[in-house]
Amino acid sequence: MTARVAAPLPPATTIGPVGWLRKNLFSSPSNSVVTVVMAILLAWIVVNLGAWVVVQADWTVIVSRVPLYIVGLYPYEAYWRLTICLLLISVLLGMTWRAWPDTARRFSYGFGAIMLFVGVFPHEMAPVHRALLLLNLPAIGLGYMLTPRAGESGPGLLEAIAGGALSSMLDRAAVRLATAWCSVVRALLPSLYGVAFRLATAWCRAVAALSRMLDRVAIPLATALRRPARALAPALDRAAIFSTPRRMLTAVVVALVVTMILILGIDGVPGLDPVAPQDVGGLLINLLLAFFGIVCSLPIGIGLALGRRSSLPVVKVACVIFIEVIRGVPLITLLFMSRHILPLTLPEDLNVDRVYLAGITITLFSSAYMAENVRGGMAAVHPGQAEAASALGLRGWQTTLLINLPQGLRNIIPAIVGQFISLFKDTSLVYFIGMLDLVEMGRVSVQGNQEFIDNGREVYLFIALVFWVFCFSMSFISRRIEGNLGVGRR
Amino acid sequence: MAETKGFQSAVDIPAEKAEILARPLEERDDIVVCENVHKWFGDFCAVRDVSMRVKRGEVVVIFGPSGSGKSTFIRMINRLEEHQQGSIVIDGIEMTNDVRNLDAIRREVGMVFQQFNLFPHITVLGNITLAPQRVRHMPRGEAEALAMQLLERVGIPEQAQKYPAELSGGQQQRVAIARALAMQPQIMLFDEPTSALDPEMIKEVLDAMRELAATGMTMLCVTHEMGFAREVADRMAFFDEGALVELGPPDQIFNDPQEDRTKMFLDQIL
Repeated sequence: MTARVAAPLPPATTIGPVGWLRKNLFSSPSNSVVTVVMAILLAWIVVNLGAWVVVQADWTVIVSRVPLYIVGLYPYEAYWRLTICLLLISVLLGMTWRAWPDTARRFSYGFGAIMLFVGVFPHEMAPVHRALLLLNLPAIGLGYMLTPRAGESGPGLLEAIAGGALSSMLDRAAVRLATAWCSVVRALLPSLYGVAFRLATAWCRAVAALSRMLDRVAIPLATALRRPARALAPALDRAAIFSTPRRMLTAVVVALVVTMILILGIDGVPGLDPVAPQDVGGLLINLLLAFFGIVCSLPIGIGLALGRRSSLPVVKVACVIFIEVIRGVPLITLLFMSRHILPLTLPEDLNVDRVYLAGITITLFSSAYMAENVRGGMAAVHPGQAEAASALGLRGWQTTLLINLPQGLRNIIPAIVGQFISLFKDTSLVYFIGMLDLVEMGRVSVQGNQEFIDNGREVYLFIALVFWVFCFSMSFISRRIEGNLGVGRR
Repeated sequence: MAETKGFQSAVDIPAEKAEILARPLEERDDIVVCENVHKWFGDFCAVRDVSMRVKRGEVVVIFGPSGSGKSTFIRMINRLEEHQQGSIVIDGIEMTNDVRNLDAIRREVGMVFQQFNLFPHITVLGNITLAPQRVRHMPRGEAEALAMQLLERVGIPEQAQKYPAELSGGQQQRVAIARALAMQPQIMLFDEPTSALDPEMIKEVLDAMRELAATGMTMLCVTHEMGFAREVADRMAFFDEGALVELGPPDQIFNDPQEDRTKMFLDQIL
């Protein structure tokens, strides 16, 4: 047998970290200049801002006002009710994690981390509230355990550990690091490659030795635990109550109703004293308005879009007029009208709180935009789809609901989430009608207090961070959903 | 007729249907009757004065240059296009704007498209069971059993749980055939079913169509597969400029065309 000639290696400067840098940051002289200039600019901003954040900024204003920012003037005695709501949400999150791990796993990590941070971080907070916040971590776990995962297969965690998964993971990471290191040295300092290679080999051996030691502990432990874990499994399966989509939906609806009751209270029930809607403020009101808007504007928007596509002229014209009127007026104007003009048209003794008026206005505003998104998504569905449905004997409405709408909605997930994000941010406009949302609370806490009059920067940076965390979470989850549904693939 | 085509059918043919199919074509009843059918798109006359009768169990291949109105013609047979003059009667049901007639006709007529038009958001099994469940109100289990039987028949039962995009073009078109058959139609329309396929996939679709023809299905196929036409068609129809120029058995069309235009077209493509 003839000796096989080894396949030639690619040039050292085109692979590994060095290759990546050359390809992405220094591919041409002009790109190199741009990279360097941007790096200097970025470093300058980070250094200055970082120095201010760490050294100069006075965060007392935030730390001492956290409840005000989060829940506004919500009565202190009723805080526990909000923490219960949070626990319910955590259970639902755990359920989602188990049912759709690709979509919700990392989000659950992030949510848990925030709860841990807020629960542990030193600021003025009653120990009982701290404990209730930290309870969210086991609550996520509870939701996770109560949900069976359909078609779960492959070895469990214990089996994986007993099979040496931990050590091989460690080994793989070490080898990857060593490979990258060698390729950098080969590209930049070829003369030292021999030394670097010996170093890398030694490093890999050391890690391998460490991982063998790990195995000596982990494998027997996992093996020992397997038997009790197996014995426990049937009990866990029986406890898994979120076992069908219907039950999951029921859990969500029940949790929502309980949440609304807990937040607003019921007259006459001890411990559930009603809270005046205008006392619900801070981030909580932004979240409630956004949630209400999101949940209601999607179905209303779909209805409007279908109406606009309808062949019935009256329905069509009514939808077009609604959409175009709402889209032609700024949200601030609509909010102002809802507060000051709409009540003129209502009976005098009917006193609708401005919180509800604002919620309805934001929902209708968002619905009009949603309708146009949905219409666009449905227009992008190939006409052959409707032809095939007709040829199979499906009626017009069946074709719309079963064929065009699902495909249309799948087309526009990014647009829908974009709409939700902008709706969430727009809820801060309610300060125009005198509501104390997060942004307004920030303004009040600075301008209404001589002590913090110079701390505007800290407050607005904090508010920006809070909004960013929520908006980023939404867009992160949307990308996950897109990935799972194969948007962009055919 | 079925036997003479030389294919063994994979499905049992019901006795009364077998009885009809045992008769020679001339003695069977007409299942499609078109009289002086016209269709315009704006001022453009796409189909002019077409009259055609198709016997039960007959396979008619329709061919002609592009833009000759052949697709428009078969799309009028299940009302994807509305005819504006003349009359179309399918298995005794007159094609009118009456929704009940239309529903009845669509149950009689299945269609397979050039671009497959499978529903990309549901699985292969879902594609096939959708209409039987929603239109015929068949219970889900029964619809799925029927779907598996049909997938078996077109040779891809193992693809049932996949999504259409995961299948090759030929497999997708076979799913489309199974989807149309799931409504248990009397007539199948094929609108250039192999034109969007790679050469090696054309055969698998044509095989499925041959098998279907052997079961005595009435078929109207718009296709350029002249080998298939020669082998399977009972009659061939040549369309040009919206008109039915010539209609006759494959022997006559290929060897002794009566019209100059037919002859010219065949000289070009053969």
